[in-house]
Amino acid sequence: MPPHKMHCTSASLLKTTLLSSSTRASALPPSFLLPAFTQTSPFSSTPSHNARKDHNRNRGVSALRHTGIGKNQRLSVRVSALPQPVVDPARRSAVKVDPDHGLWAFFPKERTRLSTPEELNMRGRGWTIQELRAKDWDDLHKLWWTCVKERNRIATGEVERKRLGGRFGMYGEFEAGERLKEVKGTMSGVRFVLTERWYAWENARVQGMEDEEVDLYADVEKGERAYVPREEREDVS
Amino acid sequence: MAAQAHFKVGMKEIYLPNFTLVLKRTPSQPPTSASFLVPLWFSKLDLRDYLHHVYALPIGPHIRSYVQQSRIRQGQTKDPARPQSKRWHRPRSTKRMTVELARPFVWPPEPEDYKPWNREENRLSREEQEEMQERAGMTADAMAVPEERRVKLREQARALLEGKQKWRPGGGRIVEGLGMYQR
Repeated sequence: MPPHKMHCTSASLLKTTLLSSSTRASALPPSFLLPAFTQTSPFSSTPSHNARKDHNRNRGVSALRHTGIGKNQRLSVRVSALPQPVVDPARRSAVKVDPDHGLWAFFPKERTRLSTPEELNMRGRGWTIQELRAKDWDDLHKLWWTCVKERNRIATGEVERKRLGGRFGMYGEFEAGERLKEVKGTMSGVRFVLTERWYAWENARVQGMEDEEVDLYADVEKGERAYVPREEREDVS
Repeated sequence: MAAQAHFKVGMKEIYLPNFTLVLKRTPSQPPTSASFLVPLWFSKLDLRDYLHHVYALPIGPHIRSYVQQSRIRQGQTKDPARPQSKRWHRPRSTKRMTVELARPFVWPPEPEDYKPWNREENRLSREEQEEMQERAGMTADAMAVPEERRVKLREQARALLEGKQKWRPGGGRIVEGLGMYQR
């Protein structure tokens, strides 16, 4: 029996369908439902466009977004034939490092990861200015670059020592600091000597410009004299 | 260096540069990769030039650069009598550059024994120092019950609750009291 609260027309309709389905031999739908079965044209009159064939096999495939290999993507290698990476570090083959690799210069002579405080202590003193004054341009610059590389080495060691020391630290800070002091002293000495040399040259040049006896434009290789004393000058009477 | 550069070398000659480069440890990267801590004004071209001329290191075509901003922190008080030096400030940022190497490089192994660096003694002495500071500091009352006593109390409580032990006033010891509650 249809429920009491239903609308009278829908209730009566439902009654007729129920009764008709039980009494009639052929189960024909009522006439108001016939369009649902016979109508084949679409409701909308807007022309529908069939989707064009997308010739882009790589659509939706991105390495940056980790989408994985697409369904229609054709690769030169089958996914099943790709080599599997060895995830366990213990099972990986050891990498052979060249003995003359440039990065060894960042590590101590013994090629250990970290210098002990004793090894850091095994050093001489820095160069004094008196010793550096005797050196020429090329030697001073070579010394500078040696100091630069040593400073990089000490800095790399310090970063590693701080990391390995953990929360409570390890010995070695004082020794590294002392070593660095010597290196920096040498570098400042090199700078001092070169500056001193430049000032000497500059003063001599300024004096030479004003001096009558000095000819700054003389070509010494051709035999012209840069310094002609007053007594020997021909144009002065 | 003696070897021909694999890139076009610049015309500017630089004499006596004064900065430090630090080689960083990169355990998560493959051995053909190296990372450096460089000055903040450094560029990728500078790094390529530097590594070629100073270390004779041929590099792959790409260098990756990353600037890490530091967190805001207070200054260090060298003189506790002058607290104004503890200003809030943001220290200078650090720049790291990652480079692809032509030949792989693996860092030497970590030392097995840390005795030359005295790490174990350092740790013990610092832990003891921290404990003493806590006992003397503001959180002293939280430290009043040591850990061993707490464990013993927990064991006793568990035994009482499970019925293995019976509670007796004073723990069974004969205590000299006022005698008010004795029968």
